[in-house]
Amino acid sequence: MNFLDKIDLFKYTVVEKGAYVKILTGLKNTVTIAVIGLLIGIVIGTLIAVVKVIPKHGPVSKALDKICTVYVAYFRGTPIVVQLLLGYFILFPLLNIKVSSLIVCIIIFGLNSGAYVSEIMRSGILSVDPGQMEAGRAVGFSYGSTMMRIVVPQAVKNILPTLGNEFITLIKETSVVNFVGATDLVNAFSYIGSSNYEFMVPYLAMALIYIVLVLLITGLVRIMEKRLRASDKR
Amino acid sequence: MISVRNIYKDFGSLRVLKGVSCEIEKGEKIVVVGPSGSGKSTFLRCINLLEMPTYGEVWVDNDLVTPVDPYLHFDVIRASNTYKKLFDAAKADGTPKSDEELSLDIIHRIKEEDLLKKREGKEYKELMKKIYNDSALDINLARRRIGMVFQQFNLFNNFSVLDNITLGPIKLLKKSKEEAEARAFELLDRIGLRDKANAFPQQLSGGQKQRIAIVRALAMDPEIMLFDEPTSALDPEMVGEVLDVMKELAESGMTMLVVTHEMGFAREVATRVLFMDEGLILEENTPDLFFSSPKNERLRDFLSKVL
Repeated sequence: MNFLDKIDLFKYTVVEKGAYVKILTGLKNTVTIAVIGLLIGIVIGTLIAVVKVIPKHGPVSKALDKICTVYVAYFRGTPIVVQLLLGYFILFPLLNIKVSSLIVCIIIFGLNSGAYVSEIMRSGILSVDPGQMEAGRAVGFSYGSTMMRIVVPQAVKNILPTLGNEFITLIKETSVVNFVGATDLVNAFSYIGSSNYEFMVPYLAMALIYIVLVLLITGLVRIMEKRLRASDKR
Repeated sequence: MISVRNIYKDFGSLRVLKGVSCEIEKGEKIVVVGPSGSGKSTFLRCINLLEMPTYGEVWVDNDLVTPVDPYLHFDVIRASNTYKKLFDAAKADGTPKSDEELSLDIIHRIKEEDLLKKREGKEYKELMKKIYNDSALDINLARRRIGMVFQQFNLFNNFSVLDNITLGPIKLLKKSKEEAEARAFELLDRIGLRDKANAFPQQLSGGQKQRIAIVRALAMDPEIMLFDEPTSALDPEMVGEVLDVMKELAESGMTMLVVTHEMGFAREVATRVLFMDEGLILEENTPDLFFSSPKNERLRDFLSKVL
């Protein structure tokens, strides 16, 4: 079978035999896990970052700091596959929570991303001139309010390219979710390949889709960056 | 209106303020001068607690904004176990002093030797608590009454000029957007920058930024304005426009505390000039006497260099 025949076979499987449904489901899941995962990650990451930069006076802030340190150490120190397996087969059954593997993946990816985003966000917050915090406090805003209204928005602007990278990493890392039985792109194309015992074209197509996704995100981040930089010069 | 009582400030092992006291009355314009590193900026920043004084108290009207400093309250010292022990010991020794003399002696000794401990018994603790509960004011509330202008302007970079001015009034004073913006435009007219309302801080010159920073503070209707070297980061040709705004503000009756190197401003506007060096206020006087007949040796030295 030459290459063109293989393409024809792939087309036939996808279009005539209806495998495109599987691909679309896989694509939808891949994007869903990455997007919602990143959003959860940004929320958790921002909270951890604020805990990390807050001046430590009382026992509460010190305890919170310890908890965050352990959290980050776990999610950065173990592979995402291990976190998925532990989450899906151990933690969720133990807590008696019955949800689909997709939901488990979204949650675990969110928690994982939170650990990475926290470090990105922390460096972003530290890159903002301390005078901004002082000015907010001097006007009468509380620490938290100044942080959320004035410092974090400026930090996000500074770290947007890095946050884009985190999103790209997440998209690619979702390729391991079939360890817990969720359908993603890898799962969909493997299915097509194994139905004909012909893997070359499906896997090339899969790689292509990932590249297109990543290029799309890169473009989107560029546009957002430009928008946010509009306030810098006009 | 503002009462600074014997404040000390340590940065690690470095003591920057060594017991500074100052009473500021409504309508006064106080200018603080002194060599760099003398603690004048720290003194200013201790008033709105951007720096927390290590010891001492700051009062805004009748509200205490710092924690209670037991050494400033005789009744608190008298309630402490340390005082009681010393008093009883002296009595047992058969001191010839009267109770009152002895009491003052012991208080003096406790202050000098920093004898109070963390725990000083129930009576002490309750008295401290009572003073705090009676007078303490949340610093975020106190700061609304104290406007501050920084050397580096510190306009909020993520907001337009108009939003910089209205953010505080809308979110903290709960003014309506229309009301806050009307007031903002009124203030912008006063400094002639109405056309910059929608600009972002990065698009403005230093002088413009600083005038808007002054307006941002004024929009909160403060009772007093603190200026921390407001013209030191400006190009020389922009110093005048900022000083003009400050002079106008002074004429309008605002209470002001200004740390600056502009001796001309001090002479012209101040009702009282303070000289600080090495963490202490070494001289204070009306501008006339301050510049014409300085008494302190170091002030004479300082003035000979800057005038």
